[in-house]
Amino acid sequence: MSDINLELNKVSKRFGGLQAVDHVSFTVTEPQLIGMIGPNGAGKTTLTNLMSGTLKPSSGTIYLNGRRIDGHPPYDVTRAGLGRTFQITRALGRMTVMENMMVPGLAHNPRANRADLEARAHEILNLLTIDHLTNELSRALSGGQRKLLELGRLLMLDPSVIILDEPFAGVHPRLQATITDYINRVYEDGKAILFISHNMGAVFELSQRLIVLHHGALIADGEPGAVRNDPAVIDAYLGHDEDD
Amino acid sequence: MALFNRFESAIDKGIGRRKLGYLVIAAIIIFFLWFPNDASQSNYAKTVFISGFFYAIMSSSWALLAGIAGQFSFGHMAFMGIGAYVAGLIARDGFTFAMLGVSITPESISAIGSIVIGTAVAGAVGLVIGWLLLRLHDAYLALFTIAFSELFRIMMLTEYDYTGGSNGLSLRPLLQIADVDMARQVEYYLMFALLIVCLLALYWVANSPIGLFLRAMREDEDAASALGVNVVRYKILIFVFTSMIVGFAGAIFYSDVGSERIIPEQLEILQMSLIIAYAVIGGMESLIGAAAGAFISRYMLEAVRQVVISLPFGLTLPDGSDAIVWDTGYWRFALFGVVMVFTLRYMRNGLLYPIITWFSGRDIAMKETVSKRESDDEHAARIEAEDE
Repeated sequence: MSDINLELNKVSKRFGGLQAVDHVSFTVTEPQLIGMIGPNGAGKTTLTNLMSGTLKPSSGTIYLNGRRIDGHPPYDVTRAGLGRTFQITRALGRMTVMENMMVPGLAHNPRANRADLEARAHEILNLLTIDHLTNELSRALSGGQRKLLELGRLLMLDPSVIILDEPFAGVHPRLQATITDYINRVYEDGKAILFISHNMGAVFELSQRLIVLHHGALIADGEPGAVRNDPAVIDAYLGHDEDD
Repeated sequence: MALFNRFESAIDKGIGRRKLGYLVIAAIIIFFLWFPNDASQSNYAKTVFISGFFYAIMSSSWALLAGIAGQFSFGHMAFMGIGAYVAGLIARDGFTFAMLGVSITPESISAIGSIVIGTAVAGAVGLVIGWLLLRLHDAYLALFTIAFSELFRIMMLTEYDYTGGSNGLSLRPLLQIADVDMARQVEYYLMFALLIVCLLALYWVANSPIGLFLRAMREDEDAASALGVNVVRYKILIFVFTSMIVGFAGAIFYSDVGSERIIPEQLEILQMSLIIAYAVIGGMESLIGAAAGAFISRYMLEAVRQVVISLPFGLTLPDGSDAIVWDTGYWRFALFGVVMVFTLRYMRNGLLYPIITWFSGRDIAMKETVSKRESDDEHAARIEAEDE
C-alpha cells in the first residue's frame, strides 16, 4: 500500500474578478474512492489543475506525503505521486499505444529495464482490454479506448493519489464498466482515487466519500448518504425559492 | 505490381527486410567510400558531395529539432554561423576574459581549439534561445527564431571591421595539404565521417528515452508534463544539442574544408528555407530521410544546372546544333519548388517514407494494427462476447 497524505489548506484561485476556488481545505490520508461533484463552473477542474501543478494557487498550500507541491510544475507533482487524467482525453496522437505507456514509465524510472516496463504495460493494457492495440497509433483509437489508455498510462507512474476528470463522459456503457473495474482494482491496490463526474449514478455507486464544490467553495465533505441530504448541496443543485 | 509482390514475399521468406535494409546502407557507405577513388571523378564532383554531406547534417539535425521534438525553428543556420564565426574570430584575434584570468592568443590556439570554442559558444547561445523559447509555440516560435537569425546575420554584415561584412570571414584552415587533389580527397572523407558521426549521435538521442520524451512533447506538452516529463529541461537540451551539432559542422565546413570563408549570405532565410525544404522532401520525422533528402536535392540542383536534350532522328536546330541546351539558372529552384509542392500535397511524410517504412517492416505492423481498429460499439461487443 502506498503512503497517502494529501493535504489542502485554504487553497484559493482568483482569475481577475472571479473567485474560481475559494479557501478549499480537505485531506486524504488513506486509500479511498472520493467523488468530487458540483454544478458547472463550481471549480472542480480548476481545483484539479491546482493540485496537479497546471495552475498555481493565489493563496493556500498543498502538501503531498509531507512535501509541499503547490506551484510546482506538473512533472514534479506527478513524480511526487499525484497522477491525473484530463476532461478531454490527451492521448499522444502520433505515438503508438505502447509508446504512450512507455513515456510515463521511463519518466518515472529512467533506468528501468525496457523489457520489464513493456511487460508491465502489457499487463495494464490487458486489464483495460486494449492490449491488442499495442502497436496502433493512439490517434486511431476510439474515444472510449483513449480514455482507457489515459487510465493505463497513470498506472505506469504508480502514483499514490489519482485524479480522474470525467472518466465516464462520452464512453460506451460496457466500457464504463471496464473503467469502474479499473477504479475498484486500483483502490484495492492501496491508492486514493478522486474522480470528478456528472454521472451521478456512477458517483453514488462508487464513492465512499463525496466532496461538493459550489462557486469555488467546499460546501460538503462526507459520506455520500449524508451529503445527498445536506440542505446546502440540495440548494446548490436545485436552487432555492426567492421567497424562502 | 505482381512482380513487386513476388519480390516482397521472397524477401520476407528469405533474408528479411531489415537485414536487406542494413545491406543497402552498407552498400551506400561503400559507394561513398569508393567514390573519391574513382579516377574519372573530378574535384568538382567531390566538392558537390562534400556540400551534400554538410547539408545532410544540417537537415537531419533540423529534423530532430522540428520533426521529432516539434520545435519548428528557423534559427538553425544562425547557430551554424555562430560556430563558424566564433571559430574564425578566436583563431584570428584571440580572446581575453580578464575576470576569469583566461587569455587566448591567436598563436596559442589551434584550428581544432577554435572549432571547439565555436561549438561551445553555439551551444551556450542555444541554451539562452531555448530558455527564451520556453513559452512560445508554433508560429510564435518560428517568428522568434526568424528574428534571431536575421539579427545575427545583420550583426555579421554590419560589423565589417571584425567580420569582414559581406566579404565574409576566413577561418583558420583545418587541413594543411599542398596537393590539391589529395586535399579534396581528405576533405571528402572528413565531411563524410562527420556526417556519419552526427547521424549516429542524432539517432542515439532519437532512440533513447529523451527521443521518446521529445516526441511526447511534440504531441502535447501539457500531457507530457502530466506524465512526468520535465518539459523545460528537454526543450532546452534539444536546442543546446542541435545548436552544438550544427555549430561544430559549420566551423569544420568553413575551415577551408567545404568552403574557404563564411559569408552572411549563408545565414539568409532563403538558405534556412532550403534546409527545411530538403528535410520535408526527404521526410521531416526521419533523420536518415532528411539527410538523404538534403544530399539528393543538393546533387540534383547541381545536376540540372545545364540540361542537354539531344534531338532524335538527325534533327538539327537553325544554328546547326543537334541538341537543346538549357542553362537553368534560377529555374532549377523553381523545379525544386514543384517537387516540394508535390511532396507536401501528396506525400507529407517525405518522398523516402515508403522506402524507409518498407525496409523497417513498419508497413506490415501498420497494416496489421489497422485491421484491429474498432469503434466503441465493436469494442464493447467484443469484450461482452469474451465475458460470455
